[in-house]
Amino acid sequence: MSLFDKFQSTAVQYKALVEGVGRDPFAVSMDEMKGPTRAMVKGKEIVLAGTNNYLGLTFHDDAVAAARKALEQSGTGTTGSRFANGTYAAHRQLEIDLAKFLGYAYCVVFSTGYQANLGAISALVAPPHDVILIDADCHACIYDGCQLSGAETIRFRHNDPESLEKRLSRLSDDVNGKLVCIEGMYSMFGDTAPVKECIEVAHKHGAHVLLDEAHSFGVFGENGRGVCEADGVRDQVDFYTGTFSKSLASIGGFVASNHPELEYLRFSSRPYMFTASPSPANIAAASAALARISTDNTMRERLWENAKRVHAAFTQLGFEICAPAGPVIAVKLADRQAACKAWDFLMEKGVYVNLAIPPGTPNATSILRLSVSAAHTNDDLDAIIGAYTSLSEVLTKEAAQA
Amino acid sequence: MSGIQEDDDLVFHKICSLIEPLNEKSVKLSRETDLIADLEIDSVSVLDIVMDIEDNYDISIPVNTISEIKTIGELVDAIHAIKKEQS
Repeated sequence: MSLFDKFQSTAVQYKALVEGVGRDPFAVSMDEMKGPTRAMVKGKEIVLAGTNNYLGLTFHDDAVAAARKALEQSGTGTTGSRFANGTYAAHRQLEIDLAKFLGYAYCVVFSTGYQANLGAISALVAPPHDVILIDADCHACIYDGCQLSGAETIRFRHNDPESLEKRLSRLSDDVNGKLVCIEGMYSMFGDTAPVKECIEVAHKHGAHVLLDEAHSFGVFGENGRGVCEADGVRDQVDFYTGTFSKSLASIGGFVASNHPELEYLRFSSRPYMFTASPSPANIAAASAALARISTDNTMRERLWENAKRVHAAFTQLGFEICAPAGPVIAVKLADRQAACKAWDFLMEKGVYVNLAIPPGTPNATSILRLSVSAAHTNDDLDAIIGAYTSLSEVLTKEAAQA
Repeated sequence: MSGIQEDDDLVFHKICSLIEPLNEKSVKLSRETDLIADLEIDSVSVLDIVMDIEDNYDISIPVNTISEIKTIGELVDAIHAIKKEQS
């Protein structure tokens, strides 16, 4: 066995997939950005519908101006971790502003959303007496956080509080801390969690709850505080994790909580202590986006209007959609090859979406994942719906011939 | 045939019945069959099969244990060990 043998079977599969369509779905290069919803790819203008830019703030005047100012005043990078020289006044201020916006007492900023989950879980939970219970469809960073913690990790069925309860009941008496990890909205299918029910079950069994609102922050709830706000249980969440790289239009992540012990992460969380902090421009952009979200509901309203329009159109076309109308609209295809071909077809029509295939998807499904943005113009939406209409015609024709 | 042997066969057959729908190449299943190398079942599907086993036997099998399991026989043994521990 050589070092590289382990890649062989996946490499062969990958090559076959790409050769089948003549374009690599996992290596698209945006050659030039024309705005939050358009990019040039190989000389052709493409409508971006696979970005997570839900509120469309990446080119917002306030965010760009704040980032530019921070860049000029504080430099291009911090060259150090939060724990050492990488905490500037702006990092602290953003923690305060996020805590205030979400209604928690404490907040810790990390360099990415991935590291926020990795850092929170791995620091909070420790073997041999703590146990983590995770929803089966949790994101890779939650799985990786569990692995980094080294603690016993048990999966429960996706969005199934009863399955969670069964597993909590089975735990032996010598278990100390229990952490239940769920997400507000799951990124692949765009379905939301029964947050209220999961928290009830968890707390009944003396477990803490970590809720990842990476994809739902700014999008769900009356004030954009996420699915927990929509469910009326925001104050019952023990650890609220989020990212700057979706609705906050930057890069970075955070954990917020009412537990004063959250502060302990600053000297116990390796992904906090041993990586450079977000650059001043990243922090400034996220702060400006947060200020915008706090004071302006119109982006969220526009996002939901757009989402409902696309969802209704796709339903009309007869696509099998993975969840009710929301910012992520995932369409199921027959298998990897079919999904890859459909993805390429949409690119050819000038629309970029995400191709998602097993094992990166739940239940071994192959999907085209579309994310709607508040910045999508009516022209963008027409282009997206037009491309899917053509796709539906092709698929119907193929099915008739088969 | 001892009691343990019978129980062993039952667990083995239960696992085989759960794996069969994913056994695309119709590999003959034995204790030595490697879930990923022989059957080409992806790691997430292995976790999903284990979820069915958990509900069937009313036990919890940690992800940490599953990641160390390669063959059907190892899975059978892990289930026995956990059943004993959690009963």
